[in-house]
Amino acid sequence: MKTIHFTLNGKRTSVDVEDNETLLHALRERLGITSVKEGCGIGECGTCTVLVDDEPHYSCLTLASKANGRDIKTVEYLSSSGVLHPLQEAFVRSGAVQCGYCTPGMLLSAYSLLLKNADPDAHDIKEAISGNLCRCTGYIQIEEAIKNAAEVCKCNSQG
Amino acid sequence: MLPKFVSVIARAKDEALSWLSSLENPKIIAGGTDLMVKMRAGKHYSHVIDVAGVPELLGVTEKDGKLFIGPATTHARLSSEGSIVRNARSLALACGLVGSPQIRNMGTIGGNLANASPAADSIPPLLVHDAVVTLESRDASRKVPLEEAIVAPYVTSIDGKELIGSIEISPLRGYREGYRRVAKRATWAISRLGVAFAIREENGMFLDAKLAIGSCTPMPFRPRKVEDLLKGAPKNEATISDAIRMTLEEIKLISGIRPSYAYKLPVLKGILEEVLRG
Repeated sequence: MKTIHFTLNGKRTSVDVEDNETLLHALRERLGITSVKEGCGIGECGTCTVLVDDEPHYSCLTLASKANGRDIKTVEYLSSSGVLHPLQEAFVRSGAVQCGYCTPGMLLSAYSLLLKNADPDAHDIKEAISGNLCRCTGYIQIEEAIKNAAEVCKCNSQG
Repeated sequence: MLPKFVSVIARAKDEALSWLSSLENPKIIAGGTDLMVKMRAGKHYSHVIDVAGVPELLGVTEKDGKLFIGPATTHARLSSEGSIVRNARSLALACGLVGSPQIRNMGTIGGNLANASPAADSIPPLLVHDAVVTLESRDASRKVPLEEAIVAPYVTSIDGKELIGSIEISPLRGYREGYRRVAKRATWAISRLGVAFAIREENGMFLDAKLAIGSCTPMPFRPRKVEDLLKGAPKNEATISDAIRMTLEEIKLISGIRPSYAYKLPVLKGILEEVLRG
């Protein structure tokens, strides 16, 4: 076991992890963050997506020790102020959530996109969520939600 | 859970090299996008040495007219790195097509090379740029052309005690350069075919042509005879069709006839036509 120190959703966090433990396992089993999910476990489906220094990574393929000293965000970060983030509001409004299994990862990939690109076109949006699989919606509603959220975020930042 | 191993995080290259030489059955990890999958499937190492944060293995530097790529540099970084976009456009394009955004943020060029998949997107562009790999151990260092470093599909000549120190490439200026690939989907799919090219032409003549083809033969390769044919040849349909015929023959010579060729070779012909006609 070794102790790792990192920022989790804006808070300084320390946790003891095994050498052969994934970040996914540490988040779920040691820190109770079950929004981060194990779908395929081999870096194909994207349900385990977390942001490492604001970039999407697959936590199922990340050794927990790699989180040491980094900034880790999960979907809880988006509503940490107590209200839903515009992305989450837009997902609800567009019907972009069906079974919900992919949603936390989708939201994080979308959030990372909007941090870098406030005015994404359809191609940018598709590219940003290409590592997150959804088997319910057919993606159309998700893409629409991200587009709408980008508009809202732009208005907010102008206001 | 993964098989049991001890993980250590290297802070400097010397530290990684010293662990590599003293530990039994160690393995270098950077992005982990290939290695973690293999370990999950049961592959066991006693020690895993994480080099993702080693400063000497990160980023791109220019020296004596060459570009030195740190092996722990991610695909995401290489796809947007100015010196790569300017001097090795095919490599920037190929790195931007690897896997998904998550894979590109994690996976590294050194890992792509060490994994030596026949479908690795970064390898054809590296071949076009005459990549030379520096392999370092605690007591020695050697330079190996990339073409010799990969000896079979998923097999390299990198010793277990060696680390990729850097990947050296020759910039190409004044070339029309790119990377074309075909996969089952536009994104997040393994390449079925990848072509890196760099072509210099003037007054209706091919002055120089460098081609590298991936996912067609056991290892990505440069069709050197075809490049020789193109050098100094008039740019016309006769030259282009000769070049394509020779390329397809060379592939059949290397691999024999494969079931996938009924699809792949006509597609490759189409890509090469577009690439050579420009």
